[in-house]
Amino acid sequence: MNENSSVTAAPTVETRLVYAHGLAAIVTLLISVTFGIVASVEMLAPDLAGGAPWLSWGRLRYDHTQGILFGWLGNAFFAFLYHAVPLLTGRPVTSARLGRWMFGLWNFAVVAPGWVLVLAGFSQPLEWAEFPIVIDAFVVLALVLAIVQFLPPFFWRGLEDLYVSSWYVIGALVFTLLAYPMGNFVPELVPGARGAAFSGLWIHDAIGLFVTPLALAIIYFVIPAATRRPIFSHFLSMLGFWLLFFLYPLNGTHHYVFSVIPMSAQIGAITASALLGVDVIIVVANLLLSLRGSGVFPRDVALRFAAMSTIFYLVVSIQGSVQAQMSVNQAVHFSDWVIGHSHLAMLGFATFAAAGGLAHVWQRIPWARYNPRALEWSYWLLFAGVILMVTDLTIAGLVEARLWQSTAPWLDSVRAARPYWVIRSGSAIPIGAGFILLLVGLTTGRRGAGLESIEQTVGLEPVREIAPRLASAASGAL
Amino acid sequence: MNRDAGRIIRMSYLVASIAGVAFFAMSVALLGIWPGRVLENQMRSMSPPHPLALSVSEQRGRVIYSREGCAYCHTQQVRYLHSDMIRFGAPTLAWETRFDYPHLWGTRRIGPDLARESSTRSEDWHFAHLYNPRGAVRDSIMPAYPSLFDGSGDRPRQEARDLVAYLETLGRARELAAPEGEAHARAACNCPADEMAQMAFHAAALTVNPAKARRQGPAPRLPAEADLVLADLVLADLVLGQRLYLRNCASCHGTRGEADGPGAPALHPQPANLAGHEYTVDRLSADLSNGVVGTAMPAWRDLPTVDLAAIARAVRALHVANQEPTLPANIVDLGARVYTANCVQCHGERGGGDGSAVAELRIPPADFRGSRPSIAESLRALRNGVEGTQMAPWTGRLNEAELSAVAYYVRGFFEGRQ
Repeated sequence: MNENSSVTAAPTVETRLVYAHGLAAIVTLLISVTFGIVASVEMLAPDLAGGAPWLSWGRLRYDHTQGILFGWLGNAFFAFLYHAVPLLTGRPVTSARLGRWMFGLWNFAVVAPGWVLVLAGFSQPLEWAEFPIVIDAFVVLALVLAIVQFLPPFFWRGLEDLYVSSWYVIGALVFTLLAYPMGNFVPELVPGARGAAFSGLWIHDAIGLFVTPLALAIIYFVIPAATRRPIFSHFLSMLGFWLLFFLYPLNGTHHYVFSVIPMSAQIGAITASALLGVDVIIVVANLLLSLRGSGVFPRDVALRFAAMSTIFYLVVSIQGSVQAQMSVNQAVHFSDWVIGHSHLAMLGFATFAAAGGLAHVWQRIPWARYNPRALEWSYWLLFAGVILMVTDLTIAGLVEARLWQSTAPWLDSVRAARPYWVIRSGSAIPIGAGFILLLVGLTTGRRGAGLESIEQTVGLEPVREIAPRLASAASGAL
Repeated sequence: MNRDAGRIIRMSYLVASIAGVAFFAMSVALLGIWPGRVLENQMRSMSPPHPLALSVSEQRGRVIYSREGCAYCHTQQVRYLHSDMIRFGAPTLAWETRFDYPHLWGTRRIGPDLARESSTRSEDWHFAHLYNPRGAVRDSIMPAYPSLFDGSGDRPRQEARDLVAYLETLGRARELAAPEGEAHARAACNCPADEMAQMAFHAAALTVNPAKARRQGPAPRLPAEADLVLADLVLADLVLGQRLYLRNCASCHGTRGEADGPGAPALHPQPANLAGHEYTVDRLSADLSNGVVGTAMPAWRDLPTVDLAAIARAVRALHVANQEPTLPANIVDLGARVYTANCVQCHGERGGGDGSAVAELRIPPADFRGSRPSIAESLRALRNGVEGTQMAPWTGRLNEAELSAVAYYVRGFFEGRQ
């Protein structure tokens, strides 16, 4: 490491922006989850909405996933970036003032009006792109601003000392901006099957190039910061990173297997999906080996969230590789199996990473309230809820798949799924309670209790020590 | 770290970064642009000349379909899989989607696929179903859309009309183009005789929706009550039949068969009054297997024969046997004369609903050999006509005696057990 590097100086973390985005994340999470819960109950009691158009299932379904993507995960990732980027680079983000504008733009020009417009009947019927086009323009603007805000510190810093989290941050911000138009603009311009080919790209890239890299950036950051050990292998972390960015974009067409899209494109995507499983095994092996000694359920709740996120990541990715294969896909595609899969990804992997990231940065804001007991309960309730919901939906998908292969009337598959949908709605109780406790955990308790909890779990450390440790670990492995 | 190592690392990162962007570009090229070009060529070459595009109303309906998230429960894509083709018909060709901005393929099927919905259901069924899905299909979990109506299912607003007009376009272009369109597409496809091509062009039918009504078709011979010898078997069967009736039929025909189910008010013609008619098993088998064209009565071909038989028996059990008066001879004569003069053209000489004018009628006329209406039912139809059909009121042309006479007379055609 360069002796004159500035990383040893105390970096300026804009804790107010961390806090604002963190709080916005949880508030939008609770709203998004409410959309999801009401939509799930409407599948049991279809007349619940009483015919009110803005409460009908389709519109709630749109708002549920868009709220999770932009509101919850977007804000949580930004909160994490405001904490991590200065520590990773030793330099402040570009501008706190820009940060306030971005906060307003993201929440009051994207999430809130997006929700309202969808409920009012203005939307796009495209997956992970349901907000209307006018909102997409603000999303693109915000993504450009995010690049201006977060990337210059990395380049000031000099690329040779980049820790793997930095790579993921850079990759995520750049590639999301590139991928976003594929699903949001192109299908409006090219018709039918042609548009679907592009739609498939974005459906996967939203997860693969935005959610996954930033979730992995959090996990890669939290593990060494909380365990105080460098990660197991920087070589594997780099290998995993590059394989991910090579393979993820090539997965898109696996959402339309057995469609009219040329079979060679389908087979290419299916092959990439299988290879992606190999990549995830590399990444997860590296993460789990970095966690060794901490147990499956580490004492630090932030680390525990990150550890479980890692395990969910492994399971959901292997599942994804398997269900992309034609023999499996033809049966389970279109069924609740896939809904289980997407919840394992977004609610299991990504949400646990984001929650771990929030808890981790909250511990390090000296003036923030922090309630470790509430977070403990939040973790266990979410853990139980995710397992219940995903198991339930997976079984439901197999039941539906079996009926669809038979000659039974279509409605039989709806009737057969009902008990599983009841359990799915029931899983909203632990999940909803877990999220409320997440809010409680980060807004009640004593100010500075977070630092105490660091002391109790791994021993007190000055915040400024994190950055040099990450950096020296990175260069030490080379 | 020395300077050289730093430079090598910087260089390798630069190379990898360029490669990363190149891989992303490759994904767009390989999975977006290239398949897009192939599909564009297919759309151009395989499409029949001048396929019917969407009208303004249908286009508005598409916007409603999009904003309500219909595509998140109903896919619009029949896959190249036998399990899909058996249920929904021919797999989707690229050219069929050429007017879809944006596509509505969907990735989840909670309700059935709608790619071949065109001409499957009647308009009034769609209105009844959109206004109150449970009124048309008891176990449906579809959201209701009363905001598209003025307070009842038979008063659709323009939005509901647009939406149903759009639903009628799904699969329409290919249906209109067949069979010349199929031959053209096949010739233009220039595709290898692989399995996908085989599937695309050798599908048994464009649509195989089991609910689609047809004028004629095979109907299984259902065992009559007498064929069930053991009393407890009859009882078990009646319980099954009643359960199936309540599940599938009662939403329109009413729990007691009096045509007063929640779906009934929106339907034109009204659903059959099962309590007021006695049916032969064969008539019920034909109507259950083929539906009644032009009406909201769908076919139930997806139910196994044993279920159809049970439903048929449950329907026959709904009949309320009135002690109808026997016919005085002069009434029989009058009825025969009135019938021959006025009814034969549609209802046929022997009352089988097979008169010479049947081919002109959108909805088949009543078949008195297979169904015997009560006097009250007959008189109601004669006095008021049957709304939504070509049966007009006869009060202007026939006097009371003639009406009564013919109402008695048509009962005589019935071929079931007396």
